[in-house]
Formats: sequence, C-alpha cells, structure tokens
Amino acid sequence: MGEYLVRRILQSVVVLFLISVFTFGLIHAAPGGPTQIFLSPGLSVEAGKIKAHELGLDQPIPVQYLQWMGNILSGDLGSTFKNNIPVGDILWPTVKNTLILMGAAWILTLIIAIPWGIYNSTKEYGLSDQTASFISYTGFAMPAFWFGIILQSYFSLKLDWLPLSDMYTMGKEGNISDLFMHLILPVSVLSLGMLAGYLKYARSSMLEVLEQDYIRTARAKGVKENKVVFRHALRNALIPLITLFGLDLPILVGGAALTEAVFNWPGMGRLFVEMANSREYSVLMAITLLGAVFVVVGNLIADILYAVVDPRVQLSKGGKS
Amino acid sequence: MSANLQPTSHPSVPVQTGAAPNAEKPIGPWRQTWNKFKRNPFAMTGLAILLIFVLSAILAPYIAPYDPAKQDLMNSNLKPFTGNHFLGTDELGRDIFSRIVFSGRVSLTVGFSVAAVSVLIGSLIGAISGYFGGWIDIIFMRLIDVMISIPTLFLNILIGAIFGTKFIYIILILSFTSWMGVARLVRGNFLQLREMQYVEAAKAIGVSSWGIIFRHLLRNASFPIIVNATLMVGGAILAESGLSYLGLGIQMPQTSWGQMLSNAQEFMLIDPIQGVYPGLCIFLVVLSVNFIGDGIRDALDPRQKMHLSPRRLEKWRAKFSKSTK
Amino acid sequence: MARKILEVNEMSAGFFVNKEILKATDRISFSVEEGQTLCIVGESGSGKSVTSLAVMRLIDYAGGMILEGDIKFNGEILSEKDQDEMRSIRGNQIAMIFQDPMSSLNPVFTVGEQIAESLRLHQRKSPKDAMKMAIDLLREVGIPSPEVRARQYPHELSGGMCQRVVIAIALACRPELLIADEPTTALDVTVQAQILDLLQQLQRETGMSIVLITHDMGVAAEVADRIVVMYAGGIMEEGSVEEIFSKPSHPYTVGLLKSIPGFEAKTEEDLYTIKGNIPRINQLPGGCRFHPRCPHAMDICRREEPGFFQLGNDHKAACWLFEEHSDESPLSPRINIGSQGEVTV
Repeated sequence: MGEYLVRRILQSVVVLFLISVFTFGLIHAAPGGPTQIFLSPGLSVEAGKIKAHELGLDQPIPVQYLQWMGNILSGDLGSTFKNNIPVGDILWPTVKNTLILMGAAWILTLIIAIPWGIYNSTKEYGLSDQTASFISYTGFAMPAFWFGIILQSYFSLKLDWLPLSDMYTMGKEGNISDLFMHLILPVSVLSLGMLAGYLKYARSSMLEVLEQDYIRTARAKGVKENKVVFRHALRNALIPLITLFGLDLPILVGGAALTEAVFNWPGMGRLFVEMANSREYSVLMAITLLGAVFVVVGNLIADILYAVVDPRVQLSKGGKS
Repeated sequence: MSANLQPTSHPSVPVQTGAAPNAEKPIGPWRQTWNKFKRNPFAMTGLAILLIFVLSAILAPYIAPYDPAKQDLMNSNLKPFTGNHFLGTDELGRDIFSRIVFSGRVSLTVGFSVAAVSVLIGSLIGAISGYFGGWIDIIFMRLIDVMISIPTLFLNILIGAIFGTKFIYIILILSFTSWMGVARLVRGNFLQLREMQYVEAAKAIGVSSWGIIFRHLLRNASFPIIVNATLMVGGAILAESGLSYLGLGIQMPQTSWGQMLSNAQEFMLIDPIQGVYPGLCIFLVVLSVNFIGDGIRDALDPRQKMHLSPRRLEKWRAKFSKSTK
Repeated sequence: MARKILEVNEMSAGFFVNKEILKATDRISFSVEEGQTLCIVGESGSGKSVTSLAVMRLIDYAGGMILEGDIKFNGEILSEKDQDEMRSIRGNQIAMIFQDPMSSLNPVFTVGEQIAESLRLHQRKSPKDAMKMAIDLLREVGIPSPEVRARQYPHELSGGMCQRVVIAIALACRPELLIADEPTTALDVTVQAQILDLLQQLQRETGMSIVLITHDMGVAAEVADRIVVMYAGGIMEEGSVEEIFSKPSHPYTVGLLKSIPGFEAKTEEDLYTIKGNIPRINQLPGGCRFHPRCPHAMDICRREEPGFFQLGNDHKAACWLFEEHSDESPLSPRINIGSQGEVTV
C-alpha cells in the first residue's frame, strides 16, 4: 500500500505542476501579451513600462513562472488591480461557503441515489425504476440556472416559504437554522444534476454485477436471494462508483459555481464570475488553481479508497502465485 | 486426448436475432440500426422535437415577426398574445418569440459546431496518440489529465476573458474544453489496433500509416463516436447557455436562451413567466438530444438481451404453467 | 440394480425471449445411478447446460422455466419445489460447478470465506469451525499450504487452483450429486487432466454421483461410466462408455468421434467436419432433427422423428437406420456403422 500511495501522490504533484504551467501559459498567451492583462488600459506608455517592471513582466517567461509559483507556494496569491487587495483575503472566506454548498448537495445525493438506484436494479422496469429514470433524464437535460429560477419564483416569491438568495438573512450570520433554510433551494438545484448520474450508474453497476458468474455460484450454493444481493453483489457494485466520484468532481465544482450565481451564494464560483467581469486575472488564476487542486486531491482520495476496498488492485509489483 | 468438435458461434442459450428466418437479402448494418431506432418511442419523439427546433432555427428570419434586437420601450413587458407578440415582450420591448427563435439558431449552431469540432480534434489526437505511442502518447495523455482536472466552467470563462467572446470564439473555446472524452475513446481503440495482425499485413503491402488510421477509425470507432458526439451537442448547448446566463458567453446584439434567462431573472418579480420559455427550450432540446443519443446507443448494442422485468417473468411463468397443467 | 439418484423424465426446458418461449430441451429423459458418472456430450447449443440449470432450478434466474416433464432426485420431485426448498438442497445435496473458475469466485471475498459460507449456511457451523473445515477442504482438493491460501483472494490464484477451490466449495457439504458444466474447458490441457483425476478421486472417496457436461469426447472417454449424446435439444444416443466408443451408432456420434483429429490415426486425411450448422431452437427441421447434416438421411428421416431403438444391453439410439424389419431401410436386421463410417451388417 505504501508504494502505491507514494506513486499516486507523486503523480498528483506532477499533474498539479503541469496544471500550473498550463494556466500560466494561458494567461501569457493572450493577444497583446500579458501587459494587456495585467496593466489597466489608460496608463501612459511610460507609466506602463514602470508598472510592467514592477510586476516583473519584463523578465523572461520561465523566470516569471518561477516567481509566480514561488509566491503561490508561500501563500502570496497576488493582489487585485483595483484597490490592491490581497487575493487571499477575498478568496478564503468564499471557499468555506462553497464547500458547505457542495458538501451538502453531495451527501444528499449519495443518500438518495445509491440505495434507490440499487433497489431499482432488483425491480427493473417497475414503477420506482421508471420514476428514477424520469428524474435521471430530467436531471441530465435541465439547465441548473433555469431550475433555480423556477424554484425561486415559485417557492420564494410566490409561496414565500424559502429565502430567495444569499447564504444568510441579514443579521443572522452564523445561525444554523437560517443557514439551513437558505441551503434548501440551492442544494436542490445542485443535487438534481448529480442525482441523475448516480441513480443511473448505481443501477447499471448493480445490474452488471448481478450478471456475473460468481452470483450464479452463490445461488448454486443455496444462498438466500437477499444475501446474494446485499452481501455478494453490493460490494462489487459499489466499487466502480468510487471512480465515479473522482470523475464527477470537475463538474461538481462548475455546477456549484452556476448555482452560486443563481442564488447569489457567496462562494468561490460567484467570486469567479464577478472577477471575470472585471478582468481581475490574479484572482481568476488563483481560483482556477484552487479548483484544480480540489479536483486532483479528490481524485487521489478516490483512487486510494478504491485500492483499499478492491482486493484486486495491485498495490505493489507482486505477481500471481 | 482433447478433441474439440466443430465450433459454432451459437450460444447455449437460444436467442432470437433481428433477421427473420426467411430473409433473403441480409440487411446492412446502418439499415438495421435505423430499424431498431425507429422502434424506440423516446428516441423518435426526441428526433421529432429536435427537427422542429432545427427547422425553426433555419427558417428563423421567416417565422420571427420581429427583429429580435429591436427595442420598443413603449411596449415593454407585454403579456403574451398582445398585438403581434405571440409570447409578449421583455423589459426592453423586444418580442420574446422572435428572440426565442433566433436564440435557437445561435444555440443549435453552437451545439452542433462544438460537437463536430471536438470530435474532429479528439479523433485526430486520440488516433495519433494511440497509434504512434511513445512520447507523443505521453504528452497528449498528460495534456488530457491537465485539462480534465480544471473545472470546465472556470476554464471556459477564463479563456473567454482572455481571448474574447465573439461567436466563433465561443465555439472554439467550448470545443477546446470538450475534445478529451473522444480522444480517450479513440486512443483506446487504437491501442488495440496496434496489436492486430492486419496492421502488419497492410504495412507489408505498403499501405501508409495514415491510410490505416483513417480506415480503422471509420470502421471500428465510428459507432461510439457517433453516440458521444450526439450527447455532446446537448452538453455544448448547456455550456453555452450557462456562459451566456453569466454574461460571459454570447453577447448582445446576438441573442441566446441563456442570455434571455438572465434577463428574466432580473425581472422575475414583475413577470416571472418570461423565465419559462427560454429555459424550456434549452431543456427540450437537450432532452431530445439525449433521447436520440441513447436511442442510437441502444440500437447499436449487439446484445439481444430481452429485458424482462421480474414481474412480467412471473406472469409468463404463471400463464404457461396454467396452460399445461 | 443400483439406486437411481437422479431421474429426468420427458423434460422440456426453455426461455422467454421476445414474447416467445424457446425450448432448449425437448422431452429428454435420462437417469444417473448412485456412484456413477454420467457424461452429457454435445456441441454448444445442444441444450446440455440448460439441462443442468433445470435440475438445479437455476434456470428460473436466467429467464426460463421447466415447461414439461419432471426431475426426480432421490425420489423427490425437484421440478415442483419452490425456490426456498431448492435452496436447502443446492450446495448441500446437489452441488454444481461451472466453466470459468476465475469468474466463478467472488473477487472481494477470500477463498476461505467462500468455502466457509457453504458450511455455515447448510451445516450451521460457527465461523471458526467453518474456516477450519475450509482449510481441510482445500487440502483435500490438493492445494498446498491451505492455511495461507485460505486467506488469499481469487485473483491471486491460478486457473487450475481456482477450479480446485470451486470444487472444494461444491464438496463442502458432501453432496450426493455433483453437476459439473464444462469444468475443464477454460483450463490448460495439463491442468485439465489433473482436475479430472481429482474429480474421480473424490468420487471414489465420497461415493457421490457425477453428471459431467462437456463437448469433448476425450474427456468423456476418460471419466464417464455412461454417456448421453445430445443434439439440438434432444438425445441422439445413450449408453455405457464401452458401448458408445466401441460401437458408435448414431451418425451424429460417429461424426463427433471422426472429428477428433488423429482418432483414427490416418495421417493423410483432411480434418473431418460434420457439414452444416446446428439449427436454432426455433428453426428445427421437421422429422429427425439431425437429418439435414446426416450423410445417411433417408426419406423417413425427413418426415418423422425417430424414437429410440435398442442396440444392446445398455445402448440405444434415436435413428431410423436401426429400425428392425423396416421396408424402407435397405439394411436389416441390424446395422453397424464402424468408426470409419462404413456400414456393415
């Protein structure tokens, strides 16, 4: 296990390194050069040159990259153009909020989708299965922002049951029940998209497992059907779902961003959109990197979990006896 | 000692095949696929709906009564069916129906273009990567790893912010962030190809590498690519709508369903119904595309497994034992 | 006359496919005596596997059912029991092993756990006792260092060893009948021989009966006491192994034997194949089901399906060639088709 762990972590580090190069390269590939990006228009040529030198933009690219990475790794994410606020100050508070939203949606999805999907695999084409299938198709096709708007206009504006937007009602920051009320709509929106996928894959994974020879062996042994499903099949069916978690992460982060925009949730995604509008590239780069870190780490955890749960994974270079 | 009898491909479980026992001419694979597709009600419904949207997109200038960008502040926020305004007007007096129709043009164009371009890029990269292997493969694979690790929305917005959000750029950007799936698919296919004998044989008679690649691609990988491409149309439309909703996609004076939705949200208090139409269009188009894609996938599935629900199976059992007892 | 462990009577079994019922076996009958090994031989599609699934009533889980006839085990009618009752018999009094050993074992449980499960299920052993017995079973089937192996996972074992484990699972509760469906097909030739030896040895030790399903006449020659030759859902020939191999009678059986390369030690000959293909179950030819491929097909073969004609003490074949006193048959009273295909009286 140790060797596998080390190998995987090394891999992740390499990918993160490449991502940073990629992102950096992207910014510096802009038409008009990085100066167009990092300097506000309207500066005179002279002032522009001075600012450029200040920001180190006249250095060769690799040096700039190293400077930037060095800063990032030591915690200095740069500052905004307007008002020169350190990026970190604006960014970190939003991360927590995004994690709350994503976490709640993810947990809700798993609790509903996995048991239900598995149940449906045992009663194929039954009413429950058809319903879930309907929800799946809807979830895959539904634009999250439209669903959000509809929920808002109905449950918030019309019925006034739930708050319209934001994370807390003014003055009630930190109040858990207030947070809960504010979470309901955005989490519903975010979950629908995830639910669609997990329902489908939990069901099909289970169906595939139930076709396997070892299930036939279990029945030939005289094992009760209940046990065949829950003991023999279930574990095998859940294992591929772990990989799904990992693959899902980039989409989850993006989905969260859209949801935040709809509900004005003070998270990373909403920040990203704001900053994109005002072209604050240092913030954009920081958030992009952060998002990528999140995905890479998430995948790493998923892979490790997979290795723990599936005995077939070759953890070291051992062979068959 | 061990002696194998004449091998047959007949499985020990008897299975009905699609071709009737008295068929004289074997039906080609494309025809067969279409026949199966036809029998899928969801797929056919999706096809019908999509065709309606495509037709209205093509005929947009003829069916839209107004110029979608024309503002008429005197007549803003009209209810549906007022005057010539089938769905009413928005806050700037623009005819909503016209906007919807022209947005359809934009979104569908984006959807199909992105699917086409991604598949092109992806197939090429995947084929080269899988066939030649070595350093080329490693570089491309790392590139794919990098690109799928960055949340797609962020990447789209970022590139849009750097390079601009003109219409053609939107298509390029979305294609740039969605070719990876196809690439992996094609690459996997080509990894197998390298092992096969007939590549050696072809090379021996002098067929060029490119010839082999092209022909193999067409024959083996085309089916999953088609399914993938179809589903990608929906994905691209959702992505474009999302960007436009955020204001970072299709810009004025061009119109997009996503754009209309962000307008609608601002004026939700005044006229919530405006938000329904554009979203509904996105939903219907993506849903149709998904039905079609799944329909194609099911039609191409060589497995003939009969899907019998446990309940129906019991009914059949009971019916049969009653008739023989 | 030894006791009959298994009796199959005019049994037809089939599957629900596309709103029809496809019969995979057509009123077949055979029996197995105590301590005997019966080999069911046939090509893919002959219905031999379906027969075993029907006996175990596992066919219900594959979308099929027993359509007519009955199956008796030790006098009890199996074909009418419900699944709950069957479960106490499966793995207990009747056990079954399948073709691909690697995929027949659950990858997430250790080999020992999978054996122990049978013991805990049917004999209510405690986990500790069951595991101890599992280790003993592993030793019994010839696996070295069974204590170590019991804690390993299936993917850590070779194909041959996996099959031994599968046999251990099957034998855990000392069944009276073992059904083995192509147990050696997926294995290397040398391992095949070992597994067959193991089965015979275990049979000697426990006195169980074996029904071994195979497409390989060579395997049948080695282990069978009696052979049943199946084709397209029906039985073509049945008899003791000596009778079948010394006096193969049904043209299909003869064809099978001739198809074995080198069987007749003729060097300069092309490989013999039975021309034609197995018909699909729903497209059976009229009359004798083998007649389109039979080199001796007569007019009556096309019209009527033959019943069994007795050829010896324990030997019968379903072929019109053996009808005595028949006006149509140019050859009477008894025909012998030698292994070279020549017809003698």
